[in-house]
Amino acid sequence: MKKAIPYLRRTIQTLSFFFLLYLILKTAFPLELKIPVDLYLRLDPFIGIITFLTKKEVILRMLPAFGVLLVVLIFGNFFCGWFCPMGATIDFFDRILFREKKWSKSFNDQSLRRLRYGIFMFSLVAGLMAFQVMYILDPISLITRTLIIAFYPPAIFVFNTLVPQAQNFLPQNSLIASTIPMPLFKVNLLIFLFFVVVLALGVVKKRFWCRYLCPLGTLFSIVSRFRILKRFVTEDCTHCLKCVKECPVGAIPETNPQEYRQQDCVSCFKCLECPPEAVSFHFGLPRWRTVNGVNLSRRYVLGSLAFGAVSALMIKANPLQSESGLKNNRLIRPPGSLPEEEFVSVCTGCGECLKVCPNNALQSTLLEAGLAGLYTPRLVPRIGYCEEFCNFCGRICPTEAIRPLPIEEKRLLQMGVAHIDKTRCIAWDTEKICLVCNEQCSYLAIVGDDKKRPIIKEEKCTGCGICENKCPVDGESAIIVYASGVQKKLKPEDVNNNKKEVPAGPAKKEKSS
Amino acid sequence: MDYASKKKMTRRQFIKGAAAAVTLPHLLSGETCFYGSLAHAAEESDLVIAKNGSASQLLQAAMAPLGGMGRFVKKGQRVVIKANIAWARTPDQACTNNPDLLAALIKMCYEAGAKRVAVWDHTCDNYQFCFSRSGLKETAQKAGADIFSGHGRNSYKQVEVQKGKKLKTVEILRDVLESDVFINFPIPKQHFATELTLGMKNLMGIVWDMEQLHKIGLHQCIADINTIRKTDLVVMDAIRILTTNGPKGPGKTEDIGEVIASTDIVAADAYAAAFFKHPKTGKPFKPEEIQFVKNAYDLGLGQINLSKVRVKKVTAA
Repeated sequence: MKKAIPYLRRTIQTLSFFFLLYLILKTAFPLELKIPVDLYLRLDPFIGIITFLTKKEVILRMLPAFGVLLVVLIFGNFFCGWFCPMGATIDFFDRILFREKKWSKSFNDQSLRRLRYGIFMFSLVAGLMAFQVMYILDPISLITRTLIIAFYPPAIFVFNTLVPQAQNFLPQNSLIASTIPMPLFKVNLLIFLFFVVVLALGVVKKRFWCRYLCPLGTLFSIVSRFRILKRFVTEDCTHCLKCVKECPVGAIPETNPQEYRQQDCVSCFKCLECPPEAVSFHFGLPRWRTVNGVNLSRRYVLGSLAFGAVSALMIKANPLQSESGLKNNRLIRPPGSLPEEEFVSVCTGCGECLKVCPNNALQSTLLEAGLAGLYTPRLVPRIGYCEEFCNFCGRICPTEAIRPLPIEEKRLLQMGVAHIDKTRCIAWDTEKICLVCNEQCSYLAIVGDDKKRPIIKEEKCTGCGICENKCPVDGESAIIVYASGVQKKLKPEDVNNNKKEVPAGPAKKEKSS
Repeated sequence: MDYASKKKMTRRQFIKGAAAAVTLPHLLSGETCFYGSLAHAAEESDLVIAKNGSASQLLQAAMAPLGGMGRFVKKGQRVVIKANIAWARTPDQACTNNPDLLAALIKMCYEAGAKRVAVWDHTCDNYQFCFSRSGLKETAQKAGADIFSGHGRNSYKQVEVQKGKKLKTVEILRDVLESDVFINFPIPKQHFATELTLGMKNLMGIVWDMEQLHKIGLHQCIADINTIRKTDLVVMDAIRILTTNGPKGPGKTEDIGEVIASTDIVAADAYAAAFFKHPKTGKPFKPEEIQFVKNAYDLGLGQINLSKVRVKKVTAA
């Protein structure tokens, strides 16, 4: 039984990772999966707490996260050791690629270990000030974002290249496997490099990220101080220090292997492989006391809090965030997004909406929305436009930064307004007939004048960007969508277009949310 | 040119098939006598207009005077249907093809012995939404056809447009070029830029970067594209047409209740133009008023003057 535990754990970790991968792959067109595709994010209590602080209200979708905290009270931060897909990835790479260096003298990580508490306090204060940038360090958000932005497009590229090759070996035209439209994301290299750095830190210490940086792990640590499932060591201990070496998170102090820091233990049960079989886990009364805890001095706590507060103020005082007239009017938020200030404080930058968008219209920001808006989604119409009968991004947003709207409501939401650059427009600038924008517009917001030149009807334009996307002018489009500030509802269009509705027509099948 | 060699093949097959098509109705006269003497003389017309009836009846009636589907589709051939699934609209909005008619067309191809029927379109809206909202994916797959979207560039092949006046090279769906039988299945719609969307303009959807054609000169490009691969058969879906706000709609629709089958795409377009009223004069469009129809006629793609075409009007039910 004891021997089987490491294998069992590794299997569960692998399954958990591939389950996340499966959910990400299923975050696509029909979106008919029974389980929420953002399940992992909804189970993330760090996101749950911070969004509660920033939004000042409980987000219903995030409620399951608090259930996870209750389980942590029993089993300690089992999540890190058994289910966390980020932890699984780190464990995997720690084994095969970034093996821990053997240091000539043991290195005292006492001061390093309080780093993540500092980050956590920073996040809390910043969250209270309705600003959040620490989502970039949330492990679930991080791995989802990395898989979607950095790894999904290359995977599709390989698929699309290999499929036609494989088809050549088959009898001609027996089967045409459709290629998958390859999404393109602007910040992919940066996100990939950050991920590699996180993994490579394993060279310094096994699970470096989990030990010293992860804010979700910190939250679990604080709660799992009161854990009920506890480690006990009998007098048989021979101080062989095998458990100290094996422990992936360094929760067992070298000087005293009979004790352990219950808050750091990820319940991987590796220490059960004890030669004299002195170690056992069973339920016991919770206690706050621990050994070799981190030294959170008053100076350190106050320093972290102050640093968080000042940083939050600094980023808030950025001209992009304030009403300074320097607003980025090309920053179009997805349909149904909360007002900008609220949006950047609630959006975790997980990238789910980027994945689900059928037209690859949503892109991650870098600094277009200021530092507060790092990795938040924006609509880039030249790459893709917002599909008329699609409300997927709102349906999968774990923190409801993009509100889940029914299709009819989403269709009439104005994200921006298109404007024509008449010096570059084919119809205005030359004598050719174009009007691609007119024929593509889903909302009849672009009409042609008597010389067949496009004119925009602002009151009908939703800023979906299909005109900017399809404009045949090279490079930048001759029709450009500018954000309209706060998204507002448009008047529903006249439905009396078809007054003489003919009974012979098939029943209207309207797909609602 | 592998296409040219294929064309030779089809001519021989055509003669064989034509012979069969002439004799077959005689053998099956018990079934086809419904259409009277018209059905006996196969290929007696170039343009057939069928009225009154359900979608499949209309198609049957329209095909019979042309010589039946057997004239075009031989046993074991691969058929490509270029449907109009360009927009994420419902069938009743008349922006996409009638699903019943598509199903009937696919069935007819299989009954004539087709090995594989593929329905293609390079959609303008997202293909998944177009396919599901128009109901055409479900219909096509139920009828046993494959339905494909041209969203991937690897489905295309660069060809030179030898007869093209303005368009020199263009990327065309490879399946269209390699198919044995190519059926154009358009739906006539009003279109602000080109006045009307008819059969020839439907072939915009076999081109990779169709928006670029607007830059070169839309009307001439539409005609030029039609020189690349001759449409073997045009089946025009005029059961319900869109008369305003085209081509995407939603706009006013009109129930014409006709299916037009033809071997001459210019003639079919010339006929269908009259469904629509000219915005200025208020009179039905003359074929010459549609620039691309005129251009195609000048290229020798077909007959614009309907009096020079053998037109047959039949009633289906």
